[in-house]
Amino acid sequence: MPTLIPSSEDTKVYEVCVMTQPDLMEKAENQLNKEIDGIFSEAGAKVVFKDLWGKRGLAYKVGGHDEGKFTVFYIDADPSKIRALDSALRLEKGVLRHMIVIPPKGYEAVSYAEKYEAWLKNRETMSEMRAREKAEKMEERVREKAKMEAKRMEAKKKEKKVAPKAPAASLDTELDKLLSDQDLI
Amino acid sequence: MAHKKQQQQQQTPPGHKPCPFCGTEVKYFDYKDYPTLKPYIDYFGNIRKRYYTGVCLKHQKMLKTAIERARFMAMLAYRK
Repeated sequence: MPTLIPSSEDTKVYEVCVMTQPDLMEKAENQLNKEIDGIFSEAGAKVVFKDLWGKRGLAYKVGGHDEGKFTVFYIDADPSKIRALDSALRLEKGVLRHMIVIPPKGYEAVSYAEKYEAWLKNRETMSEMRAREKAEKMEERVREKAKMEAKRMEAKKKEKKVAPKAPAASLDTELDKLLSDQDLI
Repeated sequence: MAHKKQQQQQQTPPGHKPCPFCGTEVKYFDYKDYPTLKPYIDYFGNIRKRYYTGVCLKHQKMLKTAIERARFMAMLAYRK
């Protein structure tokens, strides 16, 4: 990936992010791309690096659209002509939104489309991991519950076994005592 | 109960976390980098307080600009 260095002292590197309509026909789309290129060439800007993102879902509706086509241009342009470029992009019909940013010194232009896709794939595995962890926790809980219940049942059984024996034995001995008691007779 | 108490003690309390970006000396937050911005935004789309995330003031300010740019380009929500 290219590091962005301005070609001369009079120019600066700018990052222009453009969001265009997603549902254009091929012809209209090609024309829009041409017009955007024309705007850049009018301002005397050279496109150093271009990052095509394609369609992406938006966090909120922009101009009635749920999706937008993103393209990031890195241009080498004269700072005095940036205002004209900005206003020209604003007047462009197919462009939903755009932003011009000065990247920091020594900024390396990276294609974020690939990065985002890789992250999406990773995220799927992350969600799977979380689901697996949840399932494991549930299994452990069930096992613990089963153990506790088994313990309780054992304790109850013991109580049941012990409880009837003691009074029966004591009753027998008391009866014997009563029978053998000579004062009562 | 004792086990639960131990777990609570092991977690670092809010306000005493090291900055996650100072270790790698991050100099710039890209507004296009959704995966790095996402954990610093809550369910409603607000920026998380640095008291809870442990981000230092310098990086929090950089994060703020990146998040605001991403919001303008509809990559992040202003409000959910």
